[in-house]
Amino acid sequence: MTLSAERPHEVEKESFVPPASNAVSRRRGGGWLSQHVGTAIVAGFLGYLLGHWLGNYISSGYPVVTNTGQNSIADLMALIFMVVGWLAGIGALNYPLAKLVGREAKDDVELTGWSKYFRFNLDHKVVGLQYVLGVLLFLFTGGLLAMAIRTELLNPTTHVFSADTYIKIVSEHGTIMMMMASSVVIGPLGNYFVPLMIGARRMAFPRIEAFSLWVFLAGYMVIFSALPFGGFPTGWTGYAPLQTQAGPGMVSYLFGFFVIGLGMMAAGFNLAATIINYRAPGMTWSRVPVFVWSILATAALLTLATPVLVAGGLFGLLDKTVQTAFYVTEHGGSSYLWQNLFWFFGHPEVYIMALPGFGIVGEIIPVFCRKPLFAYRIAAAGMIGVALLSFFVWQHHLFQSGIDPDMRPLFMLTTELISIPTGFIFLVGMGTLYRAKIRFEVPMLFCMAVYFNFLIGGVSGVFLSDVPVNVTVHGGFFVLSHFHYTIMGGLIFAFMAGLYFWLPKMTGRVMNKRLGLWHFWTMFVFFNLTFFPMFIIGLLGQPRRVFTYAKNLQTLNDFSSISAFLLGASFLIFFANLMWSQFINPKKSPANPWESLGLEWQTATPIPPHNFDRIPVIMTDPYHYSEAGAPALADFGDDDFVHTSSGSTTSGDGSA
Amino acid sequence: MSDAIRNSKGMSDTPEEREFELRAHIGSIWSGGRLFIGMYTFLFASLAFSYFYLRSSNNGLLWRPDHVTAPTSFGWSIYSLMLLTALMAVYGQRRLRRGAVTDFQLAGWIGVCAGLAALFLQLWDYTAVPFYPGSSGYASTFIGFTVLNIATIIAGTYWLETTLARSLRLRKELGGVKPELSMHPSAQSFRANVASMAYFWGFLALASTLLFAMFYLL
Repeated sequence: MTLSAERPHEVEKESFVPPASNAVSRRRGGGWLSQHVGTAIVAGFLGYLLGHWLGNYISSGYPVVTNTGQNSIADLMALIFMVVGWLAGIGALNYPLAKLVGREAKDDVELTGWSKYFRFNLDHKVVGLQYVLGVLLFLFTGGLLAMAIRTELLNPTTHVFSADTYIKIVSEHGTIMMMMASSVVIGPLGNYFVPLMIGARRMAFPRIEAFSLWVFLAGYMVIFSALPFGGFPTGWTGYAPLQTQAGPGMVSYLFGFFVIGLGMMAAGFNLAATIINYRAPGMTWSRVPVFVWSILATAALLTLATPVLVAGGLFGLLDKTVQTAFYVTEHGGSSYLWQNLFWFFGHPEVYIMALPGFGIVGEIIPVFCRKPLFAYRIAAAGMIGVALLSFFVWQHHLFQSGIDPDMRPLFMLTTELISIPTGFIFLVGMGTLYRAKIRFEVPMLFCMAVYFNFLIGGVSGVFLSDVPVNVTVHGGFFVLSHFHYTIMGGLIFAFMAGLYFWLPKMTGRVMNKRLGLWHFWTMFVFFNLTFFPMFIIGLLGQPRRVFTYAKNLQTLNDFSSISAFLLGASFLIFFANLMWSQFINPKKSPANPWESLGLEWQTATPIPPHNFDRIPVIMTDPYHYSEAGAPALADFGDDDFVHTSSGSTTSGDGSA
Repeated sequence: MSDAIRNSKGMSDTPEEREFELRAHIGSIWSGGRLFIGMYTFLFASLAFSYFYLRSSNNGLLWRPDHVTAPTSFGWSIYSLMLLTALMAVYGQRRLRRGAVTDFQLAGWIGVCAGLAALFLQLWDYTAVPFYPGSSGYASTFIGFTVLNIATIIAGTYWLETTLARSLRLRKELGGVKPELSMHPSAQSFRANVASMAYFWGFLALASTLLFAMFYLL
């Protein structure tokens, strides 16, 4: 970081341009005959057919296939070829193949208009918006399945679904939502805003970033394919031996996690490399925005924890296809092995979901409190602490199953320990709110809701970490309520806060405030009315994943179900707001509608293709709200651009 | 890994900014290589955990009945070939650093051939394995190891091959200047990529030694 704080002299461009003769022809910008999502769908479909045929050709004579009537090899090969076809169809494989002959890709034709959102695009801002659509697709699919679950639970004796169908709906809902939640912030907001927040013009590895998106979407198709395959009956955790006994839908589950895992690793890898290397001059670690800290901690978890899920999924697929016995106790394997591998990933996964939410809230509340972020360094340290400790707690998921009872106190202790850095992060928020003159705009309301919800989710988590309580309420609605409070109450509310806060920057259009308020209040009220009764339902003994229950719990269940329907309706308000504000009746947003000091707001809207005309030189952190004499945020190489301590932007002569 | 260089066209208006972009790009290759090793470490650790978990559980005394072992001739051959590839990658990178691009290319192609031979033997190994995949814990973990090993050999050999192909084409792009000598951004990027690749192969040599010991010696 030796770029001087004094602006360098302009010189004539000496850009490096690879010779066109050696460049790869990507056939980009050639209209609808070039590679885009349509060709990806066609290639994916053809790949599916080819893979299925090949799988049947190879293995239809195997005894295990003829005896069971199930050909998991054909099912898996169909899915593998579908994903490869999808990636080839979108153009993700062009560059890796060209590298085999030493070629570098030539410059893409810069696409304008809508078509760029349906292609393999290397602009992190386009990828971020593509991710928004992707995660909303996951969210709404999972949400519809949740409505089906609550419909079934309206009555303990009159059933809409069979027990078998019900558990498959629950499993699909849980898996889709977990996959969505692992990318819901890091995909859309992380990819879009990290380079802007650190003063970078690009990602470190834009192709890997785009690859992560298209693999993520492939993962959606794979996991959704479980339904036509007959679903899977294991819940989102996929426990063996049920996993081993399940039908072909289980292949979709295992391969779906495998594929999503690849995307998660790619996303984490790229973001970590970007944050480490592409911070603008002057952006020392003590000036990095707290949202970027959260993404860095998350990226580390994605990079290191997800390979364990990928390996676990691979072993499960080998069990289903070539008849290994990793998870088959009767043949020298162990069903507990899956639990260990799954939760070694699965508990860091909880923080993969939670940390970006904390980051968003930490980034937003100083803007609406007009106060510096309280104890910034503690917030950053808390995030790193949570990330490190999250690798040492996974065994608390096995308190009731495959753990030596003598080991329980150790993992109870580590689990309780992790509440300390989590508490730091929470207290940083409280310290910032303390005696602040809060502006209750829609993003801020969502942030306040995160603190309210996460307090309930977090405190119930501390209870659950204690062995006696854990043993008592294990497998019941109490646990279900706890993790919905942390993940939906924490992460999804934070995601909504982030969307309302940053959409004006992303699209240049402001969201309708009235509809936003309706969305917030309905979502907040009905979220709590849906999930808080589940603590009571759980304490009264209702188990998860069972489609019937004791008659005396019907009133509470009905209350919860009706609230859930209204909670679902609140998302329709959000959807209506999105359509209305962005497409039907768009209103241009002011350049910096919240008067934020964040670096991402200091560049033009719409954001130029390369983010900053000049690489900014960072002077301080972006949280000096209401501080008299606070230093300017950054030197943008434009002499008359100065940032005042109040957060407003004035020209150099002092005029507003 | 040259996107950042390529995308710098028309953006970096000053020498300082171009230098910053180049340093960030090379730093990304360096840290990307280490992150890749981190990923692989956890991938191999998952396999090692499974191995020792099943070994210590020994459910139904079916960890390794009759101390059955995968074909050691294949095991030694594959392991030796992987070590040879790693050796060639590291040696080639050192020679490149000293300006001997021909040595790098020669060592690299030997490494690629050794990698492809290891891949071929790893696939052939399936025809000689003396046990059914699900017959024991050892058999299962061994099959898991071979699948991971195939993926690893493909990834490592691909990386090695792409650096070699790039070295051939780069010289033409640089107008005949040797890539090991040029200060052109593409040449610097290339050298950083080779260094990361060699580091990764060094890691693979270490990991292969541990995994070989697990499956063939213990």
